[in-house]
Amino acid sequence: MKNETKFDPKLIEELIKFGKNIIDAPKFVSAPDEINLEVTPHDTVQEIDKTRLLHYRPLTDKQYKTPLLISYALINRYHILDIQPEKSWVRNLLLQGFDVYMLDWGSPTSMDKYLDFDDYVNGYLDSSVEFIKDESSTEKISLQGYCTGATIATAYTTLHPESVKNYIATAPVIDGWRDTTVISNLAKHMDVDKMVEIIGNMPPEFMYYCFSVLKPFEQGIEKYVNFFKNIENKKFVDSFLRVEKWLGDTPPIPGALFRQWIKDIYQDNLLIQNKMYVGGSHIDLKKIDMPIFTQVAVGDHLVSPECSMPLHYAVGSEDKTLKMYPTGHVGMIASSLSQTKVLPELGKWLAERS
Amino acid sequence: MEAQSPKDSMDYYKHLSLFWTDIIHLMSSKPQALASLGPMRAFASNAKKISTELIEVNESLMEFNKFVTEYYKQLSETWGEAQKKVNLKAPDVPHDIEQMESFKRIWIDIFDNDFTELFDSEKFGVNYGKLVSKELELTKHWHNISNVILQSANLPSKEEIDEVYKEMHALKKRVTKLEIELKKKKELKTEEGTKNEK
Repeated sequence: MKNETKFDPKLIEELIKFGKNIIDAPKFVSAPDEINLEVTPHDTVQEIDKTRLLHYRPLTDKQYKTPLLISYALINRYHILDIQPEKSWVRNLLLQGFDVYMLDWGSPTSMDKYLDFDDYVNGYLDSSVEFIKDESSTEKISLQGYCTGATIATAYTTLHPESVKNYIATAPVIDGWRDTTVISNLAKHMDVDKMVEIIGNMPPEFMYYCFSVLKPFEQGIEKYVNFFKNIENKKFVDSFLRVEKWLGDTPPIPGALFRQWIKDIYQDNLLIQNKMYVGGSHIDLKKIDMPIFTQVAVGDHLVSPECSMPLHYAVGSEDKTLKMYPTGHVGMIASSLSQTKVLPELGKWLAERS
Repeated sequence: MEAQSPKDSMDYYKHLSLFWTDIIHLMSSKPQALASLGPMRAFASNAKKISTELIEVNESLMEFNKFVTEYYKQLSETWGEAQKKVNLKAPDVPHDIEQMESFKRIWIDIFDNDFTELFDSEKFGVNYGKLVSKELELTKHWHNISNVILQSANLPSKEEIDEVYKEMHALKKRVTKLEIELKKKKELKTEEGTKNEK
């Protein structure tokens, strides 16, 4: 028995404990359905179709005059910007004295398949901006776009520069040909006309697929191993489940909007070349002449920095800032780094211009 | 029409099937009309469409199988290559917690790198695009078959519902445009009123 393999008893102990944690998990952890993702108190101030305009209640006595509207991405829901108090993007801005609004795009159904870029830019986003201007008695607002929400916000800012005082583009999807992510590779070879004609909206299953090809083993195996290992760590488990619930809540994307997004951004790359049209109007990035703050994450594997950064160089603004952070797509908006570095820098920049 | 190549065989089979479906349908339509009524009559008349779709589904399915086989081939080849790299880098069975952790790290890093390289590649993108396209064609056949059943039950087809959605979307756009124009006119009137008062 010379070749007998000897295992460290601690390793066996660790494996037994891991198995026990899996069995005990339901005792310690809430089901994702039982978790409420709406963290910071807010009021729904306007509803159009399935969209909602949320106005967050102030957390300071005094607030800056210019309100801030956040145009969240089309993928998943806005909850990641307010996922839990200590990592909330929204709460941090409120504590810095900003008046924050959020545009929730809602969950489109089959009947929304004809909604296009024009509806989102000149319809929902414009109505929200007009509402905020009326309510706060201001002529201009600050606008922040995140990810694909920044593509919409960028188009809006070029068409309605008179309403935007400051523009913040966070990981914006701008230059599809420079994007080096897996998502961009799949998008470039997609028969989007056929998908929209036959299915209508971009189905959530397709989005799940796109997520699953991003670091499949780290995200598909190690993440869950860590979850069960740390099942007794209440803070870790709560944070994990919140993000998991958010990841699983993927609404469909309206067919006509999805078609134009894939074709104009990823396949023909029209936006950065100033050749894109929305509702018959030309999108010229040079018309963005207000102060602009572009935030990019170096480790972003959903929207690569090469895809976002060209916006900084293409706009007509003289007052422009580009910041790069050593984190990922979600890390930039919902992490300790976002609380200690990204948001304070944004707040300082915005306060000087609000 | 005689079968020669596999494609010819398929076309021949399709022709043969459609020929007999048509002939039987024509021959039986009058006696059928006498014996059936209402929705069942509509279904009998449209049943031919189902057999046509089922024949075409087979064609799409053959193409789909080609791309799905290539898809799994690419995945399994990448898996095999990644596993070889892991075996070279970590040939020993881990015996304690520390070794287990470093083995896991090596395994995950190599697998994530190799699979990301695959998903980023042109060959994967092209094949995946074609695979999804064929899957969509299969869905289209399923829609067409469902439409036959819906129509026989006097229910609107997918295309008819789509027309309603399209019309609703166009109407909403018109209403929004009118509302904006109305708002502008009201504002202009208020401004003029204020000027006149002054």
